[in-house]
Amino acid sequence: MAKEKVYMHAEKQKHSFEPKIIAFVCTWCTYAGADLAGTSRMQYPANVRVLKFPCTGRIDPVFILKAFQQGADGVLVSGCHPGDCHYIAGNYHARRRFAAFRKLLEFIGVDLDRLQFSWVSAAEGGKWVEVVTELTERVRAMGPMNEFKELALDEQWSGKLDSPELKEAYNAI
Amino acid sequence: MTQAIDTSIYSAVTSAIQAEAQRILSEGQVSAVVGYAPARRKGSAQPVVITEASDAGKLIFSASCVNNLAVYLTKAKKEIPKNGKIGIVVKGCDLKALVGLMGETQLKREELHIIGVPCAGVLASTFQPDKALTTETIAPKCRECDAQLPQGCDFVPPQQPVTQALEKKYAAEIARLEALTPAERWAFWKEQFSKCIKCYACRQVCPFCYCEQCLCDRNKPQMVETSPRPAGNTAWHIVRAMHLAGRCAGCAECERVCPMDIPLNLLNRKMAKELKELYDYEAGFEIKEKGPLSSYDEKDDQSFIK
Repeated sequence: MAKEKVYMHAEKQKHSFEPKIIAFVCTWCTYAGADLAGTSRMQYPANVRVLKFPCTGRIDPVFILKAFQQGADGVLVSGCHPGDCHYIAGNYHARRRFAAFRKLLEFIGVDLDRLQFSWVSAAEGGKWVEVVTELTERVRAMGPMNEFKELALDEQWSGKLDSPELKEAYNAI
Repeated sequence: MTQAIDTSIYSAVTSAIQAEAQRILSEGQVSAVVGYAPARRKGSAQPVVITEASDAGKLIFSASCVNNLAVYLTKAKKEIPKNGKIGIVVKGCDLKALVGLMGETQLKREELHIIGVPCAGVLASTFQPDKALTTETIAPKCRECDAQLPQGCDFVPPQQPVTQALEKKYAAEIARLEALTPAERWAFWKEQFSKCIKCYACRQVCPFCYCEQCLCDRNKPQMVETSPRPAGNTAWHIVRAMHLAGRCAGCAECERVCPMDIPLNLLNRKMAKELKELYDYEAGFEIKEKGPLSSYDEKDDQSFIK
């Protein structure tokens, strides 16, 4: 009887779609938390790309926009729990800014299920794994984020300007 | 049903503004007065800066005085003589911009002589300047105006504007959009933003867009694509709405000057509505050093954060 092959890790499941998740994290808490998850050999989806910032207060809403435009399917923003900010109040300011930004994105028509905010401390490696896994699986079920990618490919054709002559001239270029 | 709006007080307001400008200029209280003067087309008005008391007779106030003159005290400040106080003619909506600018320490109250205008409304940009002011031709912002009589000015003519409750178009449109699905809203805004030609008129006319270098003009790193293509347009309008959140008091100049008729004030009003709901903050009523997004409360809602 052939010896059953033993894998060091559980066998990776094959998916038809692997979402790209961009995580904007604060260096003092969530980055250390993600590091802890790694040193504790916890498994979490490799779909997440971590970008380290000094503080959640440094994370401008325009970064999130840029991430979606550059092809992210989901965005995670994570930092210290309220009261734990290394810079005293960066995360309090970030909380208000993101609360407002969420409302704006919602009004523009972006599905907020693709955008996750979380507080993950340096001791919460387990929570980091949980947050990343949940967001990855949720975005995987939603499929690729096409709205912003389509915009990037779109050419400018205003309805009012779109005359047959112009279109012909444009196509001739 | 179209009803006429009573603007009979505007001629008395005009004489009162002229007398006040004459007085403060001749007494040397101010070095210049920013106000409205008749423009070339019949019935139209344009901004004017007068520095001589003898020019005070040029000033007018009519339903065509749409501009928010506060913008001349920020970016164009260098063109207006800086020695001494400056007089400025403001409607209630423009005063809110001044109040916001004072809160952000762009202007000092003691350097201004504010001439408030009792205002019954101004014409929408889409109507010819010599149209009569009616419930049809009134600017959408005037339909939701809560500042017909400016408060806290140095001088306000004694006339009282006749006001009537009108249907709130922005509120109705926001409610309509909120009821749609995200995909439908995306389609709506995609269509609107695709019209944008990136002329940046909305930025130039905004009293709050006073940054010497705009984030959207930077190219190292480039955060917002500058060419007038859908991706950059969408990013620009989102960034613009975000940067004005909690600051914009709704003078709707962005929407007025937009050559492509993008409903820009809709985004600003939506953000104002959300910030009122979230943090009970309304821009433009009192001089506050910190806006809703530059302050915080430890008990702020964080139900959206895991």
